[in-house]
Amino acid sequence: MSNAATGAIDHHFDPTTSTGIPNKKLLMWMFLASDCMFFGCLISTHLIYRLHPPPGTPSAKSVFSIELTSFSTFILLMSSLMMALAVNSIQKGNLKTLRSSLLTTILFGSIFLGCQVFEFNNFVFEKHLTITNSILGTTFFTLTGTHGCHVAVGVFWLTLMYVRSFQPKDTTADRSWFVRNLVHIVACLGTILLGMMLVLKLVRSLQGAPSFGAGVGLWLKDYWIALIGIAVTGTLMRILARPSGAVAFDEHNAIDVEMMGLYWHFVDIVWIVIFTAVYLLEYI
Amino acid sequence: MADALVKTDFLGKDEPAATKPFVIWRPQAKTGLISWLTTVDHKRIGFLYGISALFFFLVGGVEALLIRLQLMVPNNHLLTAPQYNEMFTMHATTMIFLAIMPLSAAFFNFVMPLQIGARDVAFPRLNAFSFWTFLAGAIIVNLGWFLHSGAPDAGWFAYTPLSTRTYTPGHAMDMWVMGIQLLGVASIAASLNFIITIINLRAPGMTMMRLPVFTWMTLVTAFLIVLAFPAITIALVELMMDRIFGTNFFEVSNGGMPILWTHLFWVFGHPEVYILILPAMGVISEILPTFSRKPLFGYPIVVFSGAAIGFLGFGVWSHHMFTTGMGTMATAAFAVTTMCIAVPTGVKIFNWIGTLWGGHLQMRTPMMFALGFIWLFMIGGFSGVMHAAAPADAEQHNSYFVVAHFHYVLIGGSLFALLAGIHYWFPLLCGRKINEFWGKLSFWVIFVGFNVTFFPMHFLGLNGMPRRTFTYDGNMGWNQGNFIATMGALVLGVGVFIYFAVMVYTWFKGERVGRDPWDARTLEWCLPNPPPEYNFRVIPTVHARDDWWHTKHEAAPAKAEAHGGPGHDHGIHMPFQSIYPFIAACGILIGAIGIAVVDYNTDPHVIVGKKLAVTLVGAVIMITAIYLWALEGNEGYHLHPEEEGHGHAPAAGKHH
Amino acid sequence: MSEPTPVLTSPGHAAEESKFQLFVQVAMILAVITGIEIITVYLPFSYAVLFTVLVAFSAVKFLLVIFIFMHLRWDRPLCTIIFFIGLVLGGGTMWALLTLFGADASKPLTAMAEVARTVLAG
Repeated sequence: MSNAATGAIDHHFDPTTSTGIPNKKLLMWMFLASDCMFFGCLISTHLIYRLHPPPGTPSAKSVFSIELTSFSTFILLMSSLMMALAVNSIQKGNLKTLRSSLLTTILFGSIFLGCQVFEFNNFVFEKHLTITNSILGTTFFTLTGTHGCHVAVGVFWLTLMYVRSFQPKDTTADRSWFVRNLVHIVACLGTILLGMMLVLKLVRSLQGAPSFGAGVGLWLKDYWIALIGIAVTGTLMRILARPSGAVAFDEHNAIDVEMMGLYWHFVDIVWIVIFTAVYLLEYI
Repeated sequence: MADALVKTDFLGKDEPAATKPFVIWRPQAKTGLISWLTTVDHKRIGFLYGISALFFFLVGGVEALLIRLQLMVPNNHLLTAPQYNEMFTMHATTMIFLAIMPLSAAFFNFVMPLQIGARDVAFPRLNAFSFWTFLAGAIIVNLGWFLHSGAPDAGWFAYTPLSTRTYTPGHAMDMWVMGIQLLGVASIAASLNFIITIINLRAPGMTMMRLPVFTWMTLVTAFLIVLAFPAITIALVELMMDRIFGTNFFEVSNGGMPILWTHLFWVFGHPEVYILILPAMGVISEILPTFSRKPLFGYPIVVFSGAAIGFLGFGVWSHHMFTTGMGTMATAAFAVTTMCIAVPTGVKIFNWIGTLWGGHLQMRTPMMFALGFIWLFMIGGFSGVMHAAAPADAEQHNSYFVVAHFHYVLIGGSLFALLAGIHYWFPLLCGRKINEFWGKLSFWVIFVGFNVTFFPMHFLGLNGMPRRTFTYDGNMGWNQGNFIATMGALVLGVGVFIYFAVMVYTWFKGERVGRDPWDARTLEWCLPNPPPEYNFRVIPTVHARDDWWHTKHEAAPAKAEAHGGPGHDHGIHMPFQSIYPFIAACGILIGAIGIAVVDYNTDPHVIVGKKLAVTLVGAVIMITAIYLWALEGNEGYHLHPEEEGHGHAPAAGKHH
Repeated sequence: MSEPTPVLTSPGHAAEESKFQLFVQVAMILAVITGIEIITVYLPFSYAVLFTVLVAFSAVKFLLVIFIFMHLRWDRPLCTIIFFIGLVLGGGTMWALLTLFGADASKPLTAMAEVARTVLAG
């Protein structure tokens, strides 16, 4: 187990702490323990109100769409896999795999969020379940919305970490890196948001249009500015991701990625519980 | 979390210095306002916590005196009924969240890292962030006094439906909700830090079972905060959603159940009372051995009882709700768990008595307060066990008997211990000792005043006087008790005044003392007073429980042991100061003002109203500050102190 | 708190090498369990049986993620202990709250709610 001889880093042991667990890892586990209480109380609230729904509450089964939720559950599980691979690759110092895994995780996280936006829209405008008009709406939107906020924070964190992995080692020679860094973050967030919007709008116009071609045509007509926008942000992302000298991000940063990974997986396991407790139990 | 984006620090590998980006400001000030706003030193942050807590303690004390003056005689009109509601709400909120909790946090910050032989807490900037967020929360809660809305007035438990928009319109309650939310964030962040510090930053040889009991109680309290506060966070989110967005969590007409708030509140609220008392028990467990000149009797039992109290504390919350009709089974179950939790508490009392037994007692002021604590806490404990019996509780519920009970455990318990702690650690804070005569005088005046105030309340309660009543008729038989209680409150006020006057005097002109004035037992006393900013020149190696005592009296002449720690090769690692925690807290404050204080824009044509705009500005400031905080990294410089107390100017450059 | 069956016997370098395979396998298992769960809800068994099965499935998924993806299996036991303190207290609180609200004494007086609704509507 001793890696001193081989020069590799033991990612499960930190000799400078009393227990050998890196401080940041312990901090994250403690925070997650706290978050267990947080989501425990929130899920309890939803389930308590499902125990005795007041008369007039719409049936949850008639509102929910199991297909969509199953799809987003699957996507979130896969994003967890990508996150685990990202941690694994940076622990071996493999920066290239790290970046592609992080981007895939961001993509899957954004798909999950997009599904949630679609679902909420569908519930509010078509199923007429709003946050104020029934106790089911109140608890459902608050619970899944809070989880969605956790996912959004995770996507934001992943984006920052992805951009962080381009920080040059020698910042004296490269004074403009901070500005580049900011532009990179804005480009990533722009791509994510525009992409989510475009896909959702495409789905909307396909649903409303008589034929596939007509739907796409309408969509192109309405959202060509956004399409140009995403082309610009996407190109910026590609340009800024070009390799340019040594970066200050390597195996030593594995703990930061791992800490973020723990958060991301936790959001995933909360969804595992929500999927069963909030959705599936309504169907039996 | 923000630290996650910076370079890892745990490998201690020195790399070539990275130039800081032009946007990062690196303050160097060691004195003056900037040095306080940017400090990351746990001792300075502890001092800031202490000063704020004492300020709010005085504010809460004035509120208490106004309450007592209003109740001095029947049909009094000193305060109107709405003003009285504000007084009892803010008195409780202030004393619990803004006085006792931060005063405990002050001790955690100042004393705990010194007791375990650490350089600082694990995340110094997060520690600063906790303090500034706490202050932001305190400001929000008290903002109502200065605004049209008035102060919050729905009780410190804010029971729904009273606290919903229907019955408490206006922004005062919003401010309470946001303020408590921020205090929760601050407490959780601080506690995460303390837990990691205690688990991971102990000096070599400082095993868990050698930790000073105060540090142990810090750990248990921090666990309680981290695990109990999420419940109130959820409850507050639900209340806030109801108040701002019109959801139905507590809206009966749409199927909401107000009792849910009561449950969630007490899921938090009961661990909260242990959050208030466990640090006090830790302080007492330090003071009694020191002044009895004996080791603490049954150390493992004391530690275990503390942990047991912490764990059981999560299973007793419904004893606050015996009269809500939970059903026989639930009531019986919670009555039993409540009686169980009295056992570890009682065990501790016996341990303290065992510590005193056969000791060479030195009746110094901290010892007087500690002995007062044992008596008064025991009385409060007895009436507490009486409440555990559900049928008896139905009689006492919501009466002055309960008021008497919790003031005996909160003042007689928590506060006496914290006042003892201030006396005890004052020499370490500033190198001066509080005069014994004046200290003892303040003790006796406070002790007498406290008992005269609160003992009659037991009888008032059993005679049927309800809590939170702003006045009463002369023919209820409550006149005498209330008059005596008010007189006692005035005496208590005089005692507190003496205590603080002497403290302020000592701060400037008190008798100077050298290192270890009490001949104490734990590691913090091996430092010169006040301790240098880097704490230990050489991280000590611990050989025994009460290591400093061991070094002084039992071990061979102490020779500073080198263990190859940070003190030796390349100096002591000191983190850079940082302004970003402060700016992040400012952003949070602005955002909270946007949510809680600013009115809605009623004009439907305005998309981004004033409320949303202010909130977004706050959020942007917060996110920017956290981003820069992550970007600046946890870099530092090296100090090379030649001898204790004399640090050379920052010599070596930056490193990771 | 049963740990999933250890797939690898010794933590160390051999494990590091094959973690990639392990992660992919676990992700496949998770996906398959999710698929089975969705089918399960349509099976004609009693509520109690289906409820138990679903809870068991999500517990397995939960444990797989925390022990494999979140590395608890390879970390010091303290991490597991700390997380389970939160998990047990959070789960216990959930159980207690649901039991309290499920008790007969806690059933809301729906008749009253109905009255309130008609009064408000009318």
